[in-house]
Amino acid sequence: MNGHHTHDTMEHDNETSRLDRRDFLKLAGFTFAGVALTGCEQARVEKAIPYLIKPEEITPGKASWYASTCAGCNAGCGILVKNRDGRPIKIEGNPDHPISRGGLCAIGQAQVLGLYDSQRLQGPQINGATSDWPTLDRTIHARLREVRAGNKSVRFLSGTMTSPTTLALLKRFLSSFKDGKHVVYDPISRSAILEAHARTHGIRALPHYRFDRAEVIVGLEADFLGTWISPVEFTAAYGSGRTLEGNPPKCSYHVQIESRLSLTGGRSDKRYAISPSERVPLLEALLALLEGKSQSAKLPHFSFLNDLAGRLNSARGTSLVVCGSNDVASQILTNAINELLGNYGKTLDMQSPSYQHQSNDNALQTLLTEIRGGKVGALFVHGVNPVYDLPKGREIGELLSRLPLVVSFAERVDETAQHAGFVCPEPHPLSSWRDTEAVAGVVSMTQPALAPLENTRSLMESLSEWLGNRASAHELMQQEWRKSVFPRQSAEKDLAAFWNRSVHDGFAAVAPRPHRTEKYDSRPVQNVASPETGADSFELVLYPKVSMGDGRHAHNAWLQEVPDPITKITWDNYAILSEAAAKKLGVLSGDIVRLSFTDPTAASGIELELPTWIQPGQKDSVVAVALGYGRKGTDRFANIGPRWFEGKPSVGPGGLVGVNAAPALQFLNGQLLYERGGVRIERTGRHQTLACTQTYHSIDTPPLLAQGSESRRPYVQYATLAAYAEDRAAGGGPKHESRSMWPEQHEYKGAHWGMMVDLNACTGCAACVVSCQAENNIPVVGKDEVHRNRELHWIRIDRYFVENDGELDVAHQPMMCQHCANAPCETVCPVLATVHSEEGLNQQVYNRCVGTRYCANNCPYKIRRFNWFDYLHEDAKQNMVLNPDVTVRSRGVMEKCSLCVQRIQEQKIEAKKNGKKVADGAIKTACQQSCPAQAIVFGDMNDADSFVSKRIADARRFNLLADLETRPSVGYMTMVRNRTNKSDETPHG
Amino acid sequence: MSRRLFVAYFEQEEDILGVTRAAKEAGYEIRDVYTPYAVHGLDKAMGLRKSRLPWICLGFALLGATAKLWFQIWTSAFDWPVNVGGKPLASVPAFVPVTFEITVLFAGLGTVAAFLLVSRLRPGKKPLMNFNRATDDRHVLVLVENDAAFDPLEAAALCGRYHSVKMEEMLEEES
Amino acid sequence: MVDGISILRSPLILGNKSASQVTDDVCAPLDRGPGMTWWFALAVSLSMFTLGVIAVTYQLATGIGTWGLNSTVGWAFDITNFVFWIGIGHAGTLISAILFLFRQRWRTSVNRSAEAMTIFAVICAGLFPIIHMGRPWLAFWVIPYPNFRGPLWINFRSPLVWDMFAIGTYFTISLVFWYVGLIPDLATLRDRAVSKVKKTLFGFFSFGWDGSTRTWQRYETVYLLLAGLATPLVVSVHTIVSWDFATSVIPGWHSTIFPPYFVAGAVFSGFAMVLTLMIIARAVLHFEEYITLHHIESMSKIIIATGGIVAMAYMTELFVSFYSGNEYERFAFINRMLGPYAWAYWIMVGCNVVTPQFLWFRKIRRNVALVFILSIFINVGMWFERFVIITISLTRDYLPASWDNYAPTLIELATLVGSFGLFFTLFLIFARFLPMIAIGEVKAVLSYGRKESHGKAREEEGRKVGEYEGLHGGTS
Repeated sequence: MNGHHTHDTMEHDNETSRLDRRDFLKLAGFTFAGVALTGCEQARVEKAIPYLIKPEEITPGKASWYASTCAGCNAGCGILVKNRDGRPIKIEGNPDHPISRGGLCAIGQAQVLGLYDSQRLQGPQINGATSDWPTLDRTIHARLREVRAGNKSVRFLSGTMTSPTTLALLKRFLSSFKDGKHVVYDPISRSAILEAHARTHGIRALPHYRFDRAEVIVGLEADFLGTWISPVEFTAAYGSGRTLEGNPPKCSYHVQIESRLSLTGGRSDKRYAISPSERVPLLEALLALLEGKSQSAKLPHFSFLNDLAGRLNSARGTSLVVCGSNDVASQILTNAINELLGNYGKTLDMQSPSYQHQSNDNALQTLLTEIRGGKVGALFVHGVNPVYDLPKGREIGELLSRLPLVVSFAERVDETAQHAGFVCPEPHPLSSWRDTEAVAGVVSMTQPALAPLENTRSLMESLSEWLGNRASAHELMQQEWRKSVFPRQSAEKDLAAFWNRSVHDGFAAVAPRPHRTEKYDSRPVQNVASPETGADSFELVLYPKVSMGDGRHAHNAWLQEVPDPITKITWDNYAILSEAAAKKLGVLSGDIVRLSFTDPTAASGIELELPTWIQPGQKDSVVAVALGYGRKGTDRFANIGPRWFEGKPSVGPGGLVGVNAAPALQFLNGQLLYERGGVRIERTGRHQTLACTQTYHSIDTPPLLAQGSESRRPYVQYATLAAYAEDRAAGGGPKHESRSMWPEQHEYKGAHWGMMVDLNACTGCAACVVSCQAENNIPVVGKDEVHRNRELHWIRIDRYFVENDGELDVAHQPMMCQHCANAPCETVCPVLATVHSEEGLNQQVYNRCVGTRYCANNCPYKIRRFNWFDYLHEDAKQNMVLNPDVTVRSRGVMEKCSLCVQRIQEQKIEAKKNGKKVADGAIKTACQQSCPAQAIVFGDMNDADSFVSKRIADARRFNLLADLETRPSVGYMTMVRNRTNKSDETPHG
Repeated sequence: MSRRLFVAYFEQEEDILGVTRAAKEAGYEIRDVYTPYAVHGLDKAMGLRKSRLPWICLGFALLGATAKLWFQIWTSAFDWPVNVGGKPLASVPAFVPVTFEITVLFAGLGTVAAFLLVSRLRPGKKPLMNFNRATDDRHVLVLVENDAAFDPLEAAALCGRYHSVKMEEMLEEES
Repeated sequence: MVDGISILRSPLILGNKSASQVTDDVCAPLDRGPGMTWWFALAVSLSMFTLGVIAVTYQLATGIGTWGLNSTVGWAFDITNFVFWIGIGHAGTLISAILFLFRQRWRTSVNRSAEAMTIFAVICAGLFPIIHMGRPWLAFWVIPYPNFRGPLWINFRSPLVWDMFAIGTYFTISLVFWYVGLIPDLATLRDRAVSKVKKTLFGFFSFGWDGSTRTWQRYETVYLLLAGLATPLVVSVHTIVSWDFATSVIPGWHSTIFPPYFVAGAVFSGFAMVLTLMIIARAVLHFEEYITLHHIESMSKIIIATGGIVAMAYMTELFVSFYSGNEYERFAFINRMLGPYAWAYWIMVGCNVVTPQFLWFRKIRRNVALVFILSIFINVGMWFERFVIITISLTRDYLPASWDNYAPTLIELATLVGSFGLFFTLFLIFARFLPMIAIGEVKAVLSYGRKESHGKAREEEGRKVGEYEGLHGGTS
């Protein structure tokens, strides 16, 4: 209700104010006088409507929080939804949640924007025409009767489902037919892992990986910190295994073996590039070595395996080998290795396995053949988009339109839904009831934070309706919990109390369902099929991007504009090649290449045309392409961002954002395989600009301009574990003693806010970037503006490629305003628009700024952002996501990180009300709150016991450009890698 | 009452110089000498005393300097003190440039204003005596026929000796 | 005075002009209607100006985003043009003030138009700091005026504020200086004007000047004082402009040698521009006898001198950066010479260091066409000097991740063209309606270097005649 109301007024206001601004600017153009006059009416008062009768739970200006569960992917992280005046404006990680432990990834952070997407379906559709639920139900009931009568088979195709209630209902629904089956697949399939365990351990399950227990970690094509299974959970766990405070410092040894440089690979202590075809031989060799048979002789370039095998042997039970490939052979070998090392039950938990991926690619293939065979009478599609996700999507689409009954539950008319006779849109997860058991024993709760903005109905309700006994999702869940969840716990005696606590906490920890695992069966290992190896041509690797995943959030502008942690490119996918390969092909970054290959199952050859991106750390024989792009409807972004005569659209040549690489997928040995050999690459001669936020990628200055020892810039302090164990200050430059020509006149009597960023923990996942964007009303500027280096993100994660000890290291350095005590920006502002607060904050006064940009020029960290244009939401409805505590900046003013001053004020007021000083940790900045690695610490530097003060006292602490005497309040901590050489690679600047 | 003036025109710079000196020696009251450009030494010949404008210039300069320096310190350190880049509230070295500029501005404008004032020049003013060619190529000597002792012929003779190209008498209304 | 001149000195004004001839010659262009050349020139510069107006209007209506700037490079064309024009604006005051103090009497033929050029250049320069703002309609906020926001004053520590005061003062004083010099000539125009309109107009603006020696005497004093004030002022202006950069923390900007370096550069470019304009003017308006080869040569010599200082500054910069032991300083300069914008750096060196060396040769100095071409080169070179300092330093400062390149948009190019349009338009209008040469001052130096030994004789002879006549008259 309220939601609708606000929404209308909001939209209205936006329209009017936009018009005014346009007119005003037109006028402004002609005379300075005119400009000066109209300039005076900058601060217009928006009309505000107070509540006549205030809803009990809403206090204007005061946020209310709801515990819930993130539906951005299958990981099932716990979230807290911040509501202001009855509408969600921010999502934060739930610190108490056993899976995510307070962190939340970029995709999770961006979900709140999707809530206000005006292109979501407003109601159910029949044959493409908007309809209403009664009509739709009547028709569907009739059709289902026919199906039952004709004993036709019913198939329910969905992505991984972790909701106990929904699964129970679905079971009942399907069992009401003679032949009803539930087929599960994920666009990014992990089916092979389950398949392998079915063969080796007799149970089709996904182990719950415990990186926190592992001392030696081997990642094989598994980007477990970025995109693999449950990155937020794994990042936290991984970090807890690399805390350096103790003595001796605790730091796991992480080897990453992969074909393309992933976020995880960038963090690793040792990294090796291999091609997919080398994977199985490598695993075999490793297994052999561990078994004591020295086979590595026949694989000279795997000599490093000897050392690795040694490491693994010395860490039996505390090591973990994970493989990200969806190839059963590799997974079986991986299981064999982990079994041999005795990791099962320790670093791989099979008792309370993970339900985060239950895809079954075999079942999927059978379904496709059934559909082709015309056996299927009714197909329900939920949570997946086969026409887009799967190879030969177009053909599947045609088949679907021939089926008698196809029901889709898509939130918008996507590639698949347009072939479905019936579309039953579900409410946005932030406005619906749901439950999730992502990991056995953790049942998370999803509660609505807002009445649905569209005429939607959740899957549970639809199923109950079609089962003949209609009930609300809320009721259905309570019924199910009484049956299957409540009994699995003993803490609460009374169901109501248990329910309320679970709703309050956002989850319930219960006993996992019993799982029987047979003893390990080594037979399968002998008969592993090695995948086809690419000839002299390239091997194609398809991967999900950290911010885009399988592409289901392609309509989210925030995610489109998140720079990829490794390539730093926004708004596109591309063909990643190694430098050597690019040289061989004679292409440069941005040159469009044609990837072509023949598929035995396809009539003609398949082609993909993508811009090139040259990437260090890539295997020469491999070309990598991101999935999740070229989604239907992304043409909406053509006009996002400012419009002027040199402005260019944010979409590619195809009119969409990026290119869909799914046609390159293939079914091999029963699995959906994300790699294929025999790919030919040729130049097209055409070029496409890629919007990369970084133009220079190394920490070393260009060779031509380098001056010996000075070639390396000392911004990322680095030390090997060996060196660090001896000297905690290892890798640090000479300590800079501060001297000033001015008398000390400004001491911070009250609080002095400061921040520390631990480079050793930061993975560069960009969660902080989106969290900051949501908190501080940072607009999306579009591809062309990003390309012009005008992105407005207040946090710029600098990504450097560093040559350390002969390794290609990736260093991520989040750069936000450093809040210098001697701020160069402040001195040069003519109008006092940026000044220093009594608590050490560098404040930007938007309504005083005249926009000379002198401050930005004089900022040695270049973290100031300028409003080059008026940036409006491409979708006016999305203005509802704006944070009322933060000013929306107008054109022509400077802006930058404020250390979330609105949060500081909020807590100070709270503390004042309670008559005590702000407790350490009470204030969490948006970036700090969302960081899955807990790399960011914020607090009062005047309080000696505060966490931040302790970090500052730490020997690893360093400040950027300290010798400029800017005295930043933001500091960084030396990055330590588990290496044995004591050489200190960081030169002293 | 009005008084009679004796006006003589000359072509050459050295003539006007000479005749002015001579007239002075002869004790004539020189009303003024009008020349198309600044003839050097003419003021001495007429026996004018040095201008006092430099003192006015100095005065304005000092005024500008003190006023501006005070204003900067007052606004930055007293009226609304703000911490700007950790610098002292009264960062006097940083206030020097503006102080200097204002000093020059005051001195310049002040001097010119004073000049126009004492020389009775202002926009739209009609010239008191307008000898057209005095702004072109003629040097004009104007003597006051102050008493009966003044002998036009004598004056004429004097001017003639200096190749006066034209002589005339005229009345001046005295206010 | 007069007879103290040696016969050896060559006259400043050729062709044995009489005072009235001077008046006629200088006023000739004003009396005879504007020629085809003038109309053509005006048409060209006006259309350039219009282009600029369109560009700026679009930019104001759309946003600074229509320029090629970005988060790393916050200033490029805008401030480059600003410093360029301010530099041009230095020759005028220098000629009228400093050369006046040094008694360089040849200045009289060129100071009027040089001063006018100064004023127009400063106008062009002054536009950029305003339009370069994100919210130009609030530009007046940089002025400390009483207000109801506290009152909230301004930050007197900011070099931009210093700029505002420096340029404001410089413009005012230059304008006054120019006008004071103009008053006697306006009187001349008034008295020779035939049309009623001209008479009243010149009458109004000539302040009732009548050439009284009493006024002339004060006038000379004032002129001397203004010259004395303008001299430190002209030095201070570019010093302060250079502080915009020198007081910052950006390598390539943060340099203590900037003030002398910038001032020399300004004079250098200023004289180049004066030459460019004078050479055109003397040809179009037939002022060969007033703006003689001697003038062109003297100015060429000044260019050699200041060019030398500029070259010296370039070398000092390099030396300091390498001697500093500061890696950022070193990188900044290696990057200038070999980095992505090396071409700009070498254009700068070519135009500003190599070009002036030709002027060592008297033959070239006296070859008007060549001098003209060289002056153009220097103008280009000096524009690039500012581009090199401002833009290249910004593109690559400290954090390599924040490095980025810059390329101008059409809007920026049009704005630059527009500023030239404005400059030439103003100058053409000036040349059409006001005397381009200080008539009064030229008359004062007519006799200079002319064989005037008969002067004394005439006086002697005069006395005799007089005595005789007097005697004669006395007897009658």
